[in-house]
Amino acid sequence: MTLRQLDARLDDAAIENIPFTAGDGTELGLCRITRADRARPPVLLLHGHTASADMFVLPETRNLVEVLLDAGYEPWLLDWRGSCRLPHNEGRIRYSYDDVALYDIPEAVHYIRSTTGSRQLFVVAHCMGALSLSMSMAAGLVPELAGVVAQGVFLTPKMSWPVRTRFHFAGELLRSRFTHLPVDIKKVGLRSKYTPFFALASLGADCPDPNCQMLHNSSWGSGGSLFEHDNLDMRTHDRLAELFGSVPTWILPHIRRMEMAHAVLRWNTGDHRYDRLPDNAVDHADRIDCPVLLMSGSKNRIWQDSNELCHDVLSRRHPRLDVRYLEIPSYGHVDTFIGRGAALDVFGHIVDFLDQHR
Amino acid sequence: MDEPDGMATARNPGVDRRREGELIETGPAGPAAVADLLAGLRPQASPPPAPPRPDTPAAPEPPEASKAPDTPEAPGGPGGPAATGADDGPGDRPRDRPWDVPRLASAIAATASRFLDHRTLDAETDFFDAGASSVSAVELVAALDRELDVQISLDDVFADGRPRRLAERWLRATDQATATATGTDLLVAEPRPLLPQSLADEELAMIAADLAMADSLPFRPEPLRLAPRRILLTGATGFLGSHLLFDLLRYGDAHVVCLVRGEDDKAAEKHLADSLASFDLPWTGELRRRITVLRGDVRAPRLGLTENHWNDLARDTDAIVNVAAAVDFLRGYPSLRNTNVLGPLTLARLAMTGPPKPLHHVSSIAVFNEIGITAMGEDDPVAHIDGLVAGYDKSKWAAEAVLRRAREHGLTVTLLRPGGIAGHTQTGAYNAHDLSCGFNTAFFRYRTVPAFRNFNFSAVDWVSRISAAIVYDPSAWGLNYNLAGRPNTLPELLRDMQLSGMNMKVMEWDEWRADFLARWEADPIPQLDFLARVMRSPTAVKLCEATLLGPPARGERTERFAARHDLPAPFRYDAAAGLKNYERLARDGLIALPHPTDPPLLWFPETMRGRIGPVGGVPDTPCQLRMTLSIASMYQLTKKRGHTIDIRRGELICPQVHRQPVTVESGEIDIRPDDGMPLPYGESHPLLHYRLRLRDRDGRLWWLEGWKTARPHHDVWKQARTLSIEIGRDGGPAVFAGRVKVRSKSYLREQVDGIRVDPGLSLQEQRIAKAAWLAWFVPEMVKGLAEPWLRAAADVLDLRRDAIDRQNDSDRAQDRKRVKSRERWPR
Repeated sequence: MTLRQLDARLDDAAIENIPFTAGDGTELGLCRITRADRARPPVLLLHGHTASADMFVLPETRNLVEVLLDAGYEPWLLDWRGSCRLPHNEGRIRYSYDDVALYDIPEAVHYIRSTTGSRQLFVVAHCMGALSLSMSMAAGLVPELAGVVAQGVFLTPKMSWPVRTRFHFAGELLRSRFTHLPVDIKKVGLRSKYTPFFALASLGADCPDPNCQMLHNSSWGSGGSLFEHDNLDMRTHDRLAELFGSVPTWILPHIRRMEMAHAVLRWNTGDHRYDRLPDNAVDHADRIDCPVLLMSGSKNRIWQDSNELCHDVLSRRHPRLDVRYLEIPSYGHVDTFIGRGAALDVFGHIVDFLDQHR
Repeated sequence: MDEPDGMATARNPGVDRRREGELIETGPAGPAAVADLLAGLRPQASPPPAPPRPDTPAAPEPPEASKAPDTPEAPGGPGGPAATGADDGPGDRPRDRPWDVPRLASAIAATASRFLDHRTLDAETDFFDAGASSVSAVELVAALDRELDVQISLDDVFADGRPRRLAERWLRATDQATATATGTDLLVAEPRPLLPQSLADEELAMIAADLAMADSLPFRPEPLRLAPRRILLTGATGFLGSHLLFDLLRYGDAHVVCLVRGEDDKAAEKHLADSLASFDLPWTGELRRRITVLRGDVRAPRLGLTENHWNDLARDTDAIVNVAAAVDFLRGYPSLRNTNVLGPLTLARLAMTGPPKPLHHVSSIAVFNEIGITAMGEDDPVAHIDGLVAGYDKSKWAAEAVLRRAREHGLTVTLLRPGGIAGHTQTGAYNAHDLSCGFNTAFFRYRTVPAFRNFNFSAVDWVSRISAAIVYDPSAWGLNYNLAGRPNTLPELLRDMQLSGMNMKVMEWDEWRADFLARWEADPIPQLDFLARVMRSPTAVKLCEATLLGPPARGERTERFAARHDLPAPFRYDAAAGLKNYERLARDGLIALPHPTDPPLLWFPETMRGRIGPVGGVPDTPCQLRMTLSIASMYQLTKKRGHTIDIRRGELICPQVHRQPVTVESGEIDIRPDDGMPLPYGESHPLLHYRLRLRDRDGRLWWLEGWKTARPHHDVWKQARTLSIEIGRDGGPAVFAGRVKVRSKSYLREQVDGIRVDPGLSLQEQRIAKAAWLAWFVPEMVKGLAEPWLRAAADVLDLRRDAIDRQNDSDRAQDRKRVKSRERWPR
């Protein structure tokens, strides 16, 4: 078992860690958190790439799991293969978001359904978790969900031109030299092959913390930003290195391919094992069969207005879909979940949406 | 009195004024006759110069103060029929009642009570303090005239809405007895001149009396310097208060008790929820977890709480944040003092009851609103009270003075002084009744601006963020902070507007005011009624002058505080910061977004030639499409999504469609629709999407849709010029399809050299507009054309070996080296 312990401190809630391995043999993490008072509708929470299920159980602030428990739901946390609680991002076995869409998410959904029976199942997903989910949904692998909340990006990944320029070109240079790019300077040391990378991230940064610089000021060298600095609790800020892990550089081409087309695309086009996935998820969005709430911070400086674009495209091309868009004022990207005020500004909307379709 | 039919004046009892009143208050869509209504009321604002009647005392001349100098005179002039008229009333009016103060006050109070929900007004309570609105004020004025034959102006009610004072004024104005005046009435019992001088003296005396009340506060030690865990917040239903509520909850762990008016706690909670929703703030279970809504009223003794509640609040609260204020530039000091002066005094008393606690009071830079003041620093002396004109300025000044005295009694008082509070930079939410917002709206709507010096105007999100941080930082307590942001200057505003293609005309202040009123009267919009009323009020105009012509508010302490806490520095509310607000104003109908039917900012021709044919057939019929493309303003390009070019006019010449040219009725071109996302089931990236509506000479309607797309082919220049089109009958499928193309040699000639700019602009402005358009449009086309090539390049780069491949190679090389080493030198 290589899964790191979940950092959760939840009163009067039972945390059940479930050994979970994907169909291709990749070890994942699945955790059920519940209160034994009644049968609750399960809500699968999908983290972003290089984060982990820890982002939903921050002990220092009011977190999404607490809010869902109090609202009568049963959160299930999936650490898909991009989780920093797992070793895959720093390993030598490559994967793509096709694997997440084909194995991790559908199998987790299947397992939860087999456990919870006919209860409605919701999914709340962030960033690449949401993007992978969109591919699973377009492939018809996770039918009949009760509702989906997708934060940051969903079917139409899009960056601003300055960010995409740096992300794609710098990523191309970096991926031939580094297998992964770390966040934690303590882990790699001051003098390492990554030192210039951290020096680059510090240029023009207001915050002296190198880990924060990597995420907030540079977003792994892309020039984007993962959060609004002011929105983080100081305690969260000081443990960013625990919450975010290394980003594997070999997955950057898949992101680039999707971002340049502003559409979720299959990476393994010539591999028949992935034939269940469509080449272009946007063209098969008509297979989405549940209400979708697209959310994004108004200051998202990594995925910009991807979800607003997604809303426009889906509303026009598939008018029968129940898709709505919600912009969270003054929030960036991941602070919509780990921000100190997220419960106040974001989680209330999520619970309202779930309640509406319960 | 004879009145034209339908003329809405206070004297016509048959006219229902509720709608006009509602328009003043809430501003529904559609033009209203509020200007007429107010104009109709105004001549009667003065006590009526009615000719002597046998049963009433002789009427005096109208008091000077009640004549608005800029108010259009009533028909026949001041002495004409509209300005007279006590004898013109209906025959059933009570003419046999020689009023005295108590009886008239009682009658006015009884009449006024009808316009209040579930409340009876007494003679000493201000009409507005009792919960009345502008709607009620309009109705009250009409009812008094109709039923009591007492003519009181709307301005008089705004200035001092206590029934007793209204009665005294009217009796004095009509030369009737005032001997019963008591209390704060310090008027010398002279019939004339009535209002101007005596009112000022009276207000000064009232302010002095209010200041003296601070002396009765107890002496207490300083509070413990600890971040608060339980905060009492007043004014949470207001614009700033609601945003501050959220920032207090976001940036700290305190529980917030919101003091809200209402019949009971439930009604107060609903009031708060509705107010938050009106400012785009969520009312969710997570919010309710962290707040307690307490029914109360800052104007009432002990905040309208029971003694037990008061004591509990005094014991459990760690800090008090007072945002509650009556913000009305027409009402006088007596009408505002309960909320703006006595309210803070009550809160000071609460802060000094039980464990000492800090009081953070939201004041205003209006305390400097004296014409000619030279500096507005945080510790600079505030204005002289006799230099302030508007009741609002005086009330904010008096509140600060009261709280400064409270400081001497040991109370820790923080004074937070915002300037104009602008809309939220991210949501665009705004306060429609804020003076600065009103000015901003008028600037955008009419494209005229007075020659102001400094516009002290800062975004609500910044003001509330800094205020919340101050509340949570004990080392920041007890000081003054100017939260006016970085003021806008006239050149900066003009530059912003020039860049956005919305050039403004600069006028002198008086000229602008007259121009505004003329435009508003010609095309009244209810949402600007309040600004029109302000512009007509001599005292409020003085306030505006002081605001616009004063020095910039300096906030060095605030800047140091923001820097110390890594908070946003004060910033100018420029075009980028105000974009969402601009869009929101447009959505609410306060301003009009540039529209294709507006005179264009710039335009240029586009001529395309090609061939079309039946769908699925051979495109063999020559076709020519001539259009004039235009943009109404740069907003079409700077908005976040959906950039468009308008098709102003044009024609399609194609014998297969019609033997005569088909006219373009309307049309639009989307620029890189969906950010250049490939079309469904394809790899082509859209560059431009044409959507036209046409009409032929037989009156039949047609549609035309065309796409310019980019592909990774060598003919990039051709792609930029070629349009694939489909044409069909209105509501039907495509009938014809084909391609048209801009000729290579005419492309630059038409679309660069052929650009024409609004001749009403100066030559420099024309050059700026043309350059800005090209600087935006050309890169968009380059990006769109490059995108397919970049994708193709990325597909090739995907095949490159990455670090894992290199490491594997390296590992294999090292293994081989070791093997070779072992083979050469076996052990």
